[in-house]
Amino acid sequence: MKVIIARCSVDYSGRLNAHLPLATRALMLKNDGSLLIHSDGGSYKPLNWMSPPCILVVEEPDPDQIAAGVQRLWRVSHAKTADVLVVSFHEVLAEIDHDLGDDPGLIKEGVESHLQQLLSEQLEILGPGFTLVRREFMTAIGPVDILARDEDGRHVAIELKRRGDIDGVEQLTRYLELLNRDSLLRPVTGIFAAQEIKPQARTLAEDRGIRCVVLDYDAMRGVDDAHLRLF
Amino acid sequence: MKFQVNKDVLSEAVSFSVKLLPLRPALPVLNGVLIEANETDVVLSTFDFEVSSRTTVIATVERPGRVLIPGRLLNDIAGRLPQAPITVELNDSRVVVTCGSSRFSLPCMSVDEYPTIPEVEGSTGLVKGEEFSTAVSQVVVAASREDSMPVINGVQLEISGTTLSMMATDRYRVAIKDVAWDAGATPIEHSALVPSRTMQEIGKTFGSAPTISITFATKEDREVIAFQADNKTVTSLLIKGNFPPVRRLFPDVVENYAVVNTADLIEATRRVKLVVEREAALKYILRDNTITLEAIGGDQAQASETIDAVISGLEPTVSLKPDLLLDGLTAVHSEFTRLGFNNGDNPSKPGPVLITSQTSKDGEHESSFRYLLQPNLLLR
Repeated sequence: MKVIIARCSVDYSGRLNAHLPLATRALMLKNDGSLLIHSDGGSYKPLNWMSPPCILVVEEPDPDQIAAGVQRLWRVSHAKTADVLVVSFHEVLAEIDHDLGDDPGLIKEGVESHLQQLLSEQLEILGPGFTLVRREFMTAIGPVDILARDEDGRHVAIELKRRGDIDGVEQLTRYLELLNRDSLLRPVTGIFAAQEIKPQARTLAEDRGIRCVVLDYDAMRGVDDAHLRLF
Repeated sequence: MKFQVNKDVLSEAVSFSVKLLPLRPALPVLNGVLIEANETDVVLSTFDFEVSSRTTVIATVERPGRVLIPGRLLNDIAGRLPQAPITVELNDSRVVVTCGSSRFSLPCMSVDEYPTIPEVEGSTGLVKGEEFSTAVSQVVVAASREDSMPVINGVQLEISGTTLSMMATDRYRVAIKDVAWDAGATPIEHSALVPSRTMQEIGKTFGSAPTISITFATKEDREVIAFQADNKTVTSLLIKGNFPPVRRLFPDVVENYAVVNTADLIEATRRVKLVVEREAALKYILRDNTITLEAIGGDQAQASETIDAVISGLEPTVSLKPDLLLDGLTAVHSEFTRLGFNNGDNPSKPGPVLITSQTSKDGEHESSFRYLLQPNLLLR
């Protein structure tokens, strides 16, 4: 990992052309060859970047560029497309090299998987008499989050989301179509459960006979506000 | 189909029909208003499989017939037309609305695809329109808007003898209002859980009617309630499930209470709550026949105010969410409010506060409207 603080201008050409005028910026050159150019604020995203695989070539500035104050010239070309990022360094203010070693990767706080676990333990939220068949019930097109039975013993496929949008309903619809071809399972109804359900998703789900359930994650986790409620 | 109708009569009828149209129906035909011209009158109806509306208006019918046209568009048009008789005519596949020199041509929707609207006959009992409408507005504020528990998204109607009780809750508060019920010769005990949005519209629509007839029925295995007044009928499917037994949350006896001027407490609460976050509570300190409201805001802004009260019994300090208190105080509809305090059964939870109405500072208190509110824990 190389981090450079420099006064530089940047030209990007490829799928679109972009120019960053001369200013002080932070540049990150990563070990995989990618380059990211950051300003001091505005967004968590870089102003401009070249993603790997790419090749960095240090070029000699031509006399015109030297006359314009360019001390160093980087040409970063993408290995598979014609995209090119050219950084003209006018003044390098700081430069750090450090080997970060292997990264263990990001462990997301798995709200969705936690919701799945909590809901499978508290199926009574969906109605009295619900029983678990299994979590991650496998179908040919992927696992259904929870397969359960309602109080009459009929199968119910449950799709869990943090934010329930149209895509989630489509996903559940595909599972339901497949599950209902199985004579051992059918009839299978669907429940679309999420912490928040978009109005369009609700309309689509209800039109397809899928029940929508909004889940209260805090209450399910036991971070309940029972002392604020009458019952 | 062709008929002529008075402008005000039509616009009033259409605006009633449109209020109960679904917001985002999955079937486009449900956006329509069904217009049926009979020999001497015209019937306008809407239906979305849950709620139906139906109203009859007098019209001069030249040719009877049946059309389905976009409801909200018709409502916008009817509301804007000049003061002149309106002619509505089916011309090939379009409906032409003319009024004075304005002319609108609307596309027809397929009548054949429109579902059959349930018809409910008979009458279970009667209520007074204005009393009913006020009661709905008092109770419906407490209904839950979250959809994690469908049974509390409705207003529960309970009939017993000559009383119709309406109640709603979101688990943080409960509102109950009793109104007079005229069941005629054969009184029955019955209860019905009606979606609160429908209830709210019914309350607004039928407020000016002298009496409203309410009917309970069963259609195709689903329980239905119908409200009828003037020439209007609204039917709604009931919410399935049992309403929580909220009556038992109310204390039998309230020994400690304070009587305050309702407007004073509303104004003081609105002022003091300015400095707190939306969900934060205000502290109400009862002492020496006064109530002191205190708020400490997140960014160190503070506020307090003291109002007069008549206190009987203990002098508690309670912490209440201002918005929930204000809903109760604005629903109480009386010059004075009685705030009742109880210890409650659970030592780790403050007892609920009971709001009822009172006509004067030391007069009789009236309990047909009761609003029970759970205080927050007191933080030192």
